[in-house]
Amino acid sequence: MRCVRVWFKKMGMSRYVSHLDLMRAMTRAVRRAEIPLWYTEGFNPHPYITFALPLSLGMESLYESMDMRIEGESTNEDIFNMLKGSMPPGIEIVSVENPFNDPKEITYGEFDIFFDCERKTDSVLALIEEMLSADELIVQKLGKKGRHKVMKDINLIDFIKSYRVGSLENRVKLTVILPAGSTTNVNPSLLADEIQKRAEEKLSYTIVRKKLLLENMELFR
Amino acid sequence: MMISKEVEKILPLVQKPGKYTGGELNSIVKDKNGVDLRYAFCFPDSYEIGMSHLGIKILYSAANERNDVWCERVFAPWHDMEKAMRENGIPLYALESGDPLTDFDLIGFTLQYELSYTNVLNMLDLAGIPVRAKDRPDLTPIIVGGGPCVCNPEPMADFFDIFSLGDGEEVSDELFDLIIACKKEGTTKKEFLKRAAQIKGIYVPSLYDISYNDDGTVKAITPKETAPVKVTKRVVANLDKVHYPEKFIVPFVEVVHDRVVHEILRGCIRGCRFCQAGFIYRPIREKSADTINTQCQKLCHSTGYDEISLSSLSTSDYTHLEELMEKLLEWTEKEKVNIALPSLRVDNFSDKLMGYLSRVRRSGLTFAPEAGTQRLRDAINKNVTEEEMLSTARKSFSGGWTAVKLYFMLGLPTETYDDVAGIAELAQKVVNEFYNNPDKPKGKGVQVSISVASFVPKPFTPFQWEAQDTIDELIKKQNHLLSSVKTKKISVSYHKVNISFLEGVMARGDRKLCDVIETAWKKGCKFDSWDDSFLFETWLESFEECGVDPLFYTSRKRDYEEILPWDHLDYGIRKQFLISESKKAYENETTPHCRIKCAGCGSNMINGGECDAMRQSMV
Ligand code: SF4
Repeated sequence: MRCVRVWFKKMGMSRYVSHLDLMRAMTRAVRRAEIPLWYTEGFNPHPYITFALPLSLGMESLYESMDMRIEGESTNEDIFNMLKGSMPPGIEIVSVENPFNDPKEITYGEFDIFFDCERKTDSVLALIEEMLSADELIVQKLGKKGRHKVMKDINLIDFIKSYRVGSLENRVKLTVILPAGSTTNVNPSLLADEIQKRAEEKLSYTIVRKKLLLENMELFR
Repeated sequence: MMISKEVEKILPLVQKPGKYTGGELNSIVKDKNGVDLRYAFCFPDSYEIGMSHLGIKILYSAANERNDVWCERVFAPWHDMEKAMRENGIPLYALESGDPLTDFDLIGFTLQYELSYTNVLNMLDLAGIPVRAKDRPDLTPIIVGGGPCVCNPEPMADFFDIFSLGDGEEVSDELFDLIIACKKEGTTKKEFLKRAAQIKGIYVPSLYDISYNDDGTVKAITPKETAPVKVTKRVVANLDKVHYPEKFIVPFVEVVHDRVVHEILRGCIRGCRFCQAGFIYRPIREKSADTINTQCQKLCHSTGYDEISLSSLSTSDYTHLEELMEKLLEWTEKEKVNIALPSLRVDNFSDKLMGYLSRVRRSGLTFAPEAGTQRLRDAINKNVTEEEMLSTARKSFSGGWTAVKLYFMLGLPTETYDDVAGIAELAQKVVNEFYNNPDKPKGKGVQVSISVASFVPKPFTPFQWEAQDTIDELIKKQNHLLSSVKTKKISVSYHKVNISFLEGVMARGDRKLCDVIETAWKKGCKFDSWDDSFLFETWLESFEECGVDPLFYTSRKRDYEEILPWDHLDYGIRKQFLISESKKAYENETTPHCRIKCAGCGSNMINGGECDAMRQSMV
């Protein structure tokens, strides 16, 4: 028995597949691919398949990973070739690797937020620059207080590790690094929603998770 | 997937957007310019319910086998999605192409239960299509209805252009051919309907005049022009030869039945007198174990599902069940696929079958005695004895089961309060059986749950002439049952009686109900089978406004001589047979099942004299 890490992209319509639904869909894909899965012992054996970090519903990702335990002599390339043709629509296998980091080490995520503007992008660019260069950008975040869920104010500026902003035709692209992991998590939609709220024109946006990073800013592998 | 920008904008606003995107594994996308007919197959309920339905999978796959046809799926958007669609002017669209329903030549609705009728109207309206057939003068789109409810489609007669009676697999092809021909010739809708009425199994409601007596009963059903006097349902003769999909669409969103389903036999040998499905799907046709086994394996491989459910009205009556289980277990155990066997009857739960069952993952133990006393079980022809049931329970408890589910009905014809109390007594005996069993699972208690539905008389059953219990009567019986239960080991759950009442009106309704349905829908009724969406007061208002008394349909016991609204539809079951079964019910007299002796129901006559059960009863 050994563990492999399967890297995949989740783009297009599959962004509307929730984390739970994705787990089921991938388990079925692995079954269709006839991967020699390792099963737990006992009366109700089940395979061992886990995902690094859940992706919010509606977000696309270029950097998703799934760990699974397999039996037999298959190489990573064998597994890749088996999986390639079995993925559900919208999921694309990138590679199969040996796991290097523990998913618990994930600390940051790098995201691209694309805003579609109806008019010129200048004002949106200026707005984002203005918002992100200030000392404070207070938004409400659902947090926990003891056992209860409460809304609390957070200053987004404190959490933004770095950002870049640019535009192409009527699209503005904001690249941002935010905490993502088991301890602190700031959903980039908090930022996107706030920009949307303050913009003069009606903006729609999509978010792509591009990378997952460790505390030292190295790539999670 | 080709969802429009407008739809994409509203998806983030709704629950479970994955229901509205299409693009699931094995969904079929074709070039719309390369086909002659576009067919929208609609299920008038939520995605989760519709995607669980076997019929849609079979007919979707069969239609798409043809190069000249593209069949797509449409479901009723949930309240939040409908609101967003209406606010943004987005018409109802099909999931494969994202195109609005108005782009389609044929729009089919499967009518699985009466309480989905308002959803049909709502879906048409959401697509911008007039709900009444007379307001749709153009040839296309043609609106067709199928499914069990079309054995009495009269309450929906004004909304549909045609209905397809019986098994849909073969008649669909003939219908496609006719529509393609009519489109090419540029015929009128009137001409199309005239020709459609000549296809066996196709019922064109507008070609029949219905007249009524002063008391509201039907006086005469008169066919116009060349329409046949009786429309006979279609029957697929050989299940081994008819199309069965090799692939199922695998939804991302979890649906109710998320597994491989295989129909192993059609029809039912039992003849329970309350059960419409048991009669309208006759004659009995079995599929061979080999065919089922091969098809199941293909389906598991193409979907990745890890469960197979063998479906039929009474799975243990399938004559090759042991052979099938043996074949299936050969590969399913290796591939970690579980087999589910719903609808197992208690009276032929053999040791060998129990052995097979113990090799598949344990599912719940369920019995459907339907009535609490032997007297009433005889009257409804549910040939299960208490001793058979208790002995199966005994075996199951020894095998480790601790939870039992019992299904009953309240309001059955001839039912007394003693019969109602009998339900609690029977459940108590099951509890006692557990505690008297020396081999019972150690250190565990037993939980017996009773689930009680309200009996609704249905067309083409021996009880089609019966009066249905009123809401008050049913509530009294429910309370009597509750007070008869003496232990916490037994829990009782009910269906809403108001919903059963409306179901009863629709089931045996006539065309006077079309106005009521339209009125109720306009007042906001939809998803009527969902407790939270059901607006009973609004329905009562609608009856009132249309001057229709719902009790006329439910509370009235009919004479055998009365012309019934569905008398021009022929499901193979002879009326004389139903009358004799109805009389036997009042004598508490049972009819042996079809393998013991053919009861002469007549359904074999529409299948060239063939009925699998009959053949077996003679050997
Ligand atoms: S024809 Fe005879 S054997 Fe066949 S379903 Fe009818 S009663 Fe049963």
